[in-house]
Amino acid sequence: MTRLGHTYRENRLRPPGAVEEERFMALCIRCNRCLEVCPYGSIRRAGWGLTIGTPFVLPETKACYLCMACTGLCPTGALDKRLSDPEAVRMGKAKIDPNICYSHLFFDADVLPEDAGGRIGALCNTCYNVCPLPNKAIMLKNNLLPLVLEGCVGCGICVERCPARPGRAVNVVPAGMGKTDEAGFHFRKAHKHHEEVSARAKADPNKALKGADLLERKQKIDSSGSAAEFDFPYELEDGTEDWE
Amino acid sequence: MMFRPFRRTVQLAFFSLMFAIPVLNMYENYTITGTYYALQVGGLEAADPAAILQAVFASGEFALPILGALLFPLLFALVLGRVWCGWMCPYHLLSDGAFRLRTLFRTKFLGGHETETLAVSSALKANLCRYAFLLVGTAAAGVIGIPVLNFVSAPGILSTEAMLLVRQHSLSVEFGFIAAIFLAELFFFPRFWCRLFCPTGACLALIRAPFTLRVRTTVPNPKTPCCKENACTSACPMGLAPYRQGSNLLCTNCARCIDACRSGKDREILGFTGFSQP
Repeated sequence: MTRLGHTYRENRLRPPGAVEEERFMALCIRCNRCLEVCPYGSIRRAGWGLTIGTPFVLPETKACYLCMACTGLCPTGALDKRLSDPEAVRMGKAKIDPNICYSHLFFDADVLPEDAGGRIGALCNTCYNVCPLPNKAIMLKNNLLPLVLEGCVGCGICVERCPARPGRAVNVVPAGMGKTDEAGFHFRKAHKHHEEVSARAKADPNKALKGADLLERKQKIDSSGSAAEFDFPYELEDGTEDWE
Repeated sequence: MMFRPFRRTVQLAFFSLMFAIPVLNMYENYTITGTYYALQVGGLEAADPAAILQAVFASGEFALPILGALLFPLLFALVLGRVWCGWMCPYHLLSDGAFRLRTLFRTKFLGGHETETLAVSSALKANLCRYAFLLVGTAAAGVIGIPVLNFVSAPGILSTEAMLLVRQHSLSVEFGFIAAIFLAELFFFPRFWCRLFCPTGACLALIRAPFTLRVRTTVPNPKTPCCKENACTSACPMGLAPYRQGSNLLCTNCARCIDACRSGKDREILGFTGFSQP
């Protein structure tokens, strides 16, 4: 069965307890009960496309505060009814961009903006201070650098509070987005390249790409702006600046 | 006793309820939550059978929590028939309004007759159309794995829009669908949505037993209307002939035919089964 409707995007999460995305799209009858009971108004309703009416959390505007009011109410089990422990939630994983993060810039380039290409470094640590699960989801390495740990539930409070603008220094990658078979565009492009090259080498070892030819082929892997040649459930950005 | 005032009261109560639920929820009172896709009243689940049917087909899961949400609607429909449609559905109230406006306009300005023939006037064809739509929609949900018929569930959408209006002071694009079918009923095809398409009504009509409440006549084996005016047939919003089609799948137990039959008569001919039958 092919996936329809949903494309993954950073900072667009399903409510806590959501089952795997394909099952979620099948089970969610869009009754919006989770949205109604959310005391913070964190859950938003998708307004267009096949996901129309399904619930999303957009941590840039309002993160999930893990009150767990919504999970027990889902009539079809699109949200796991039994889930009541906030630490067991897996909405996604936060990811810190060291090129934007004030603390990282402070560490890397000290406080002088000219050393950091005009960007300001500062002892910020906001993400650590606002995290509902400090030292489980996030820690301060050397009491200075925020570092996301395995315990991160993806609630997105750090995203909501991150002072960096226009792009936040911390973003949440939704659960399911990191699956290898559906991984990032460039990863899969490289994977396809690897398959092609190894198939060619297997068919005829003499024709295997080597040296300069191989390098040239590898340089062509980047195809930002062009459409994917494979089933790709993510929204593509226009450029490659934001990609790591 | 006329059923009409009671029916209107219940209809208006359910219409108000879809605005009241989000207001209660905003004050953190969660005794009643949800929309008309799926309600929860004090721990009791009541989901739209059409929505559950699609979720089952789309996910391929036939699990107990899903079916638990069906228990109350099933029992309710088993005893009272399709009263959801005739007495509670917020869209049916709008449809009544559209029909009334249309009749008013036709008789006042166009000099038309009080009664008009509905599109697809045969009850059999109307039922076929409805179940074909349900079947195709459910099959599509199974194939693409998304409960697609929910995009066209009139009561669910209306209730969602009410919730959005209360919570976010805005409407979503689905309101366009409600507006479209309302205008189509007003100008072109009166009553077409409930009669020919509504998946919820189609599902509810299938839930029936010999004891289910339905309209019955006291005349044995009626072939022709008992009165010259054929009052019950012209009153029926579903285009049925209630004197002989009381147990048709299209009947919503709205009791309009019973009201029409009683007016100007001293003997009771049409009535609900089990209710004041002579």
